[in-house]
Amino acid sequence: MTTTEQSQGFKQLAVEDFRISEEPFYLPISDEVELFESAYEQKIPVLLKGPTGVGKTRFIEYMSWKLHKNIQDGQSGVPLITVACHEDLTASDLVGRYLLEGEETRWVDGPITRATKVGAICYLDEVVEARKDTTVLIHPLTDYRRLLPVEKRGELLEAADGFILVMSYNPGYQSALKDLKHSTRQRFIAIEFGYPDRDQETEIITKESGVNPSIASELAKLAEKVRNLKEHGLGEGVSTRLLVYAGKLIHQGISPRRACEVAVVWALTDDLEVQRSIEEVVTSIFEE
Amino acid sequence: MSSVEALHDQYSQELKGFGASLPDDLLQGLQGLSEIYDQSQLEQWVKIGVSLAHHSLRSWEATSEFFRVSPEVAKKLTFSELKQWSEIGTYLATDASLMSVAFIKATPIALDSLNFDELDKWAKQGQRLCRGNWKSIALAALYFQQSASLLNVLSLELIDRLVDIIDQLTERSYELANSVLESSYDIFSNLAEEDREPFLLFAKSVTRASWADTRLYFERGPKLIESISSHERTIFLDLASKVTMDVGRQGFPLFVDAAQSLEEIPLEDQKALLIFATNIAPSSAIASMEYLKSAPFVRSRLTTEQMERWSEVGVELLKMGNAEGAEAYFRLESSRAEEMLAALSARVELPSVSSMLRMYAKALSGEQVAVLSSEDLVDRNIGWISEAAPTTEGTTIYLPPFVNTFEEQDSNFQVYKVFTTHQTGRLEFGSFNYTFNINGQHTESSAELRESDQLQHRLSSDVENEEDDRSSQTVSTEIQRYFNLFDDRLLISGIFTIVEDTRVGSYVDREYGGIRKWLQRLQNWEVDRRPEVRAMGLRQAFVENLLRASLGRPDTIRWPQDQYTTMQKGIRALQIVNLEDATVQDSAEVASALYDIAVLIPNIPLESADVEWEPPDEEMIQIAPDMPGGGEGGEAPMPASGEELDFENPDQPEFRGEFKPELVQLMMKLKDQQQGQTDGTASPLTKEQLMELLQNSVEITINEWAEGDLASSLGMFLDNLEKDAGTPAGEPKEQSGESGDERGGGDGGDDEELPVEIDWFYYDEWDFRASDYRPRWCRVGERLGDEGELDYYQDILQKHHGLVMETRRQFELMRPESFRKIKRLEDGHEIDLDEAIQFYVDKKAGVGPLAQIYTRRNKIERDVAVAFLLDMSASTDEEIEKQRQKYQEEEEDFQDDPSKYFQWLAQRRARQAIEPPKRIIDLEKESTVLVVEALEAIGDSYGIYGFSGYGRDNVEFHVIKDLEEDFNDRVRKRIDKIDPVRSTRMGPAIRHTIQKLDDHDAKVKILIMVSDGRPQDHGYGRDRTEKEYAVHDTKQALNEAKRKGITPFLITVDKEGHDYLKQMCDDIGYEVVDNIESLPRRLPTLYRHLATE
Repeated sequence: MTTTEQSQGFKQLAVEDFRISEEPFYLPISDEVELFESAYEQKIPVLLKGPTGVGKTRFIEYMSWKLHKNIQDGQSGVPLITVACHEDLTASDLVGRYLLEGEETRWVDGPITRATKVGAICYLDEVVEARKDTTVLIHPLTDYRRLLPVEKRGELLEAADGFILVMSYNPGYQSALKDLKHSTRQRFIAIEFGYPDRDQETEIITKESGVNPSIASELAKLAEKVRNLKEHGLGEGVSTRLLVYAGKLIHQGISPRRACEVAVVWALTDDLEVQRSIEEVVTSIFEE
Repeated sequence: MSSVEALHDQYSQELKGFGASLPDDLLQGLQGLSEIYDQSQLEQWVKIGVSLAHHSLRSWEATSEFFRVSPEVAKKLTFSELKQWSEIGTYLATDASLMSVAFIKATPIALDSLNFDELDKWAKQGQRLCRGNWKSIALAALYFQQSASLLNVLSLELIDRLVDIIDQLTERSYELANSVLESSYDIFSNLAEEDREPFLLFAKSVTRASWADTRLYFERGPKLIESISSHERTIFLDLASKVTMDVGRQGFPLFVDAAQSLEEIPLEDQKALLIFATNIAPSSAIASMEYLKSAPFVRSRLTTEQMERWSEVGVELLKMGNAEGAEAYFRLESSRAEEMLAALSARVELPSVSSMLRMYAKALSGEQVAVLSSEDLVDRNIGWISEAAPTTEGTTIYLPPFVNTFEEQDSNFQVYKVFTTHQTGRLEFGSFNYTFNINGQHTESSAELRESDQLQHRLSSDVENEEDDRSSQTVSTEIQRYFNLFDDRLLISGIFTIVEDTRVGSYVDREYGGIRKWLQRLQNWEVDRRPEVRAMGLRQAFVENLLRASLGRPDTIRWPQDQYTTMQKGIRALQIVNLEDATVQDSAEVASALYDIAVLIPNIPLESADVEWEPPDEEMIQIAPDMPGGGEGGEAPMPASGEELDFENPDQPEFRGEFKPELVQLMMKLKDQQQGQTDGTASPLTKEQLMELLQNSVEITINEWAEGDLASSLGMFLDNLEKDAGTPAGEPKEQSGESGDERGGGDGGDDEELPVEIDWFYYDEWDFRASDYRPRWCRVGERLGDEGELDYYQDILQKHHGLVMETRRQFELMRPESFRKIKRLEDGHEIDLDEAIQFYVDKKAGVGPLAQIYTRRNKIERDVAVAFLLDMSASTDEEIEKQRQKYQEEEEDFQDDPSKYFQWLAQRRARQAIEPPKRIIDLEKESTVLVVEALEAIGDSYGIYGFSGYGRDNVEFHVIKDLEEDFNDRVRKRIDKIDPVRSTRMGPAIRHTIQKLDDHDAKVKILIMVSDGRPQDHGYGRDRTEKEYAVHDTKQALNEAKRKGITPFLITVDKEGHDYLKQMCDDIGYEVVDNIESLPRRLPTLYRHLATE
């Protein structure tokens, strides 16, 4: 492992060396773990669908940790290479490019190339944000061929065994313009992530934030109520992540009402009226 | 012969020549005077009379009166005074003998109130009225006749004022003067003495300001000021006259309104208001009266101190010299006034919180609930009658229009919240989901058992009575079937309500800890207002006690000591629904058990008997939930003596409001039925079934239909219910009465078109004088445009084929502009050669900059929304041809060739026959077609709207194509039907369009208004001729658009447009299209510029 160590207080390592070494907390909502394991076994690309903050990324981290037995080098977990997609993400950002170095040029692999080589889980987060030509690039990688054409070098790269492509996709807020193309979509199996139910969410909040279960349950109740407002003034329901934040603040001694105000109400919307409505729900649930 | 006879004989002959009755009058006078005067005085007296008779043509009539009243007068005057009096009579006779007669005749009575010295003055007052014509003479005569008695109530000085008024009135109408004079005595004799002077003073002002109002004032004034505290009347009247002097003819109406407002205010509070009004009167007379007018309304919302603070803001406006602003403020036609009112008032109004509460209720229940005022539900006439209580009918939460329970605004808001939470709780926790004979979480259902018992019982006892409808009863809803189990429906309904509300309340308390505090506060507030238990019949007391326990205050229960176990059993059962996860089934079962207890308790009053009514002991408060077992004995028998009282269910606590599960279930069922969702097993409800349900239900109060006969009321009621079930939940749409009228006339067959559906919106209007908005001043009615023929659109396309193609091409050219090249990037699509060379040079030179040599082309998505607002005012009906014809005829040169001329003429006629002359609106329509074609080419979202209307509460807003709507044939047809209507109130139309654009998601928003002239409408300005107001309001509306990030642009075909547009548009784009016909060509071009800037 090429690790520049602790003396500077930070750790620096190559993307392909990043592994989840400790078990991340993940509470399976249904059969997604088995599904993913089977897909991984069968080298089927996976699309994770669901609103923000329900645990898609956590799930993929958890899976990366859980699939450790497939790896030979003794370290736990499959390498996880995450690419956060944005609208300026180009094909060369993914595949790699030539850089000038003195009078010379040097080729540098992009994240997807590295993942292909080492057999990592390549996780394209929020893939619809990427440009259309980027998504087309991955087509040969995602069918039986498992090939990555590296155009600039005139090479074809065959994916290593452990390689799997995973994309996340939030169908909620994208406009029609930003939908996935069918040719892309239909290369993936899709695992749906919804909000956990009240009890599950209570458990997650308790675990993650350290707050006591009764408050966690109130937070979960709040979430349930606020999610009722989706499409009626709110683009998206409150995420479990925000609830965990609120829980953490409460755990630190912030009053529940205040914690919910900053972590839920204001984080969710700028619309004053909606804010006010949610605040009223908060004050209904939490005592002063 | 006595001296009297001698004198009589001596003069009677002479006097006879004047009038036959004169000698007799003389004799009468002489006889009366002989006691008082000596011989010579008598003779002088007769001579005076004779000379008076000689004085002028009919002055003998005065003599006659003189003779007759002299004995009376002589009792009060000395002889020399009498002589002077007669001289007055004489000079009056110079003007008119009739007046003199009246004067002389009235003197004896007048002398009761007057000194001799004042006689002359009095006479002069009368004389003033006489102008020589007969009307004035009659008036003067009337004056003397009336004033004799008037002198009893008015001093001579005040009468002088009255004469002023009457004198002024004579310039306009003698008839009016007469009637005022005639009514004066009645009026002033009824007025308190100290009010008379100010009353007159104000009368004088009124007369001066608007003479016609004088009669009204004399008729209504005394009545109006009666309601004002006697101490303050003077202040008020003084104020009124000052105001009237200032504002002229407006003064009297203001006075009337202010007086009527004061009537609503308790006497002791009027003084402060009047003093305040008087203080501000010097700065603005109108403001002071407006203040009084608004006072009752403001007082209903504010305390005295709050009102002072509210008024201070108005005073500030006055101090800043903004009198118009202050007037609008006190008139409550200003946003500032309303905002202050809302900020100061503890009262919370529903409209200000309804949308927030709606979202709150949605959040809690997860259902599409609406929040409306309870008044709306009452208007729907489907069984709910309380306008002041919260309730729900299953899809909508109804709340009282305002809450004023506590003294702080926040507390009152919390009250709303508790209301909403409880009603939402009924939905969230399933109050309306009762299913027959399903077990609860804590109880087993006895419903089926009860039903079969009931049937058995009926079969055995009622064999011969086959008419008993209950045995053959069909049921429509589950809850109805449940209620049918009980003989006393009123009782079970009351108990079920209490039990179910307890359950919901308990859920709310558990789930929403945050409002627990307020729930308790309201519960305590309710408990403090409960009626005295002891006065009730025993059964009613039992139910009342249950309610108190339900409100969380079992400590307020009062119950006879020896019957304690009964009450205990009841409370114990009630506690079951307080358990976690109790369901409505539990409630129903608990209610049945409580019913069984209650029905055995006689409803007799026990107050008089020496029964100990005890508060509960500790045990009762802490009681554990349990269902009452059967057959437990051990308690004293119920008292059986006494007369039973009528049983009434206790009043519902306000925060729980009305609960009508039977109606709600019925409505749900009807709704399902109308949506065709009935499952195969259940047959649709028949009318008879429904009628039966309604007749039996106790949820509809009997007095509602006491007015008419039962059957027809029920029928109407049922119609409403069915209608209601057909309309989807949510905000009800208001229907315009007018549009109905337009289509009226037919007898309403099914084939008739539906009336146009109109959605109403309210907008503020800018009052530039007050520099403030008039809140909710204009009402905009949005409706879909009528549809015409499709051909019109096609015709235009064909006619302008070339132009259409051209604009389309131009618009298509706009597309590449939406790419933007970004230079100097470290990474990109292409290398910028210049940059690359530069970089290489730099590198060689050793000044290594960054390798920013790439370029990239970023696509910018066109994200434009545009709304076209077309002026559909009547003036757009004007033909354009008219203006042009003049030129044409001059231009054409026929070189004196008649055949050519006739040819031309024939052609023109033919042309006109095929094609009617073009109007401005036609050009607007054609332009629209072209723009639509162009816009479809580039794919911007666009809306087309037309506006017109008349008056501030009827601004018509026609939707030709909404922003979200797709372009289709219906839109094409609507374009055909863009027709001139009425006026041009631009402000509200612009505001409504802003609203539409604001709701639409786009980066660039444009509003283009096409009009043919300046904004004008009825009431759009101080009077018909004023233009400033409308221009300012429009300008303000355009500024609002800019503030919302919308680019407004005005196009007008009015050649005089420049003058007002310059003022109206400031820095807003506008264009005056000189050549009207170029509009269709111009509009797309303009848009292109606007949208690519």
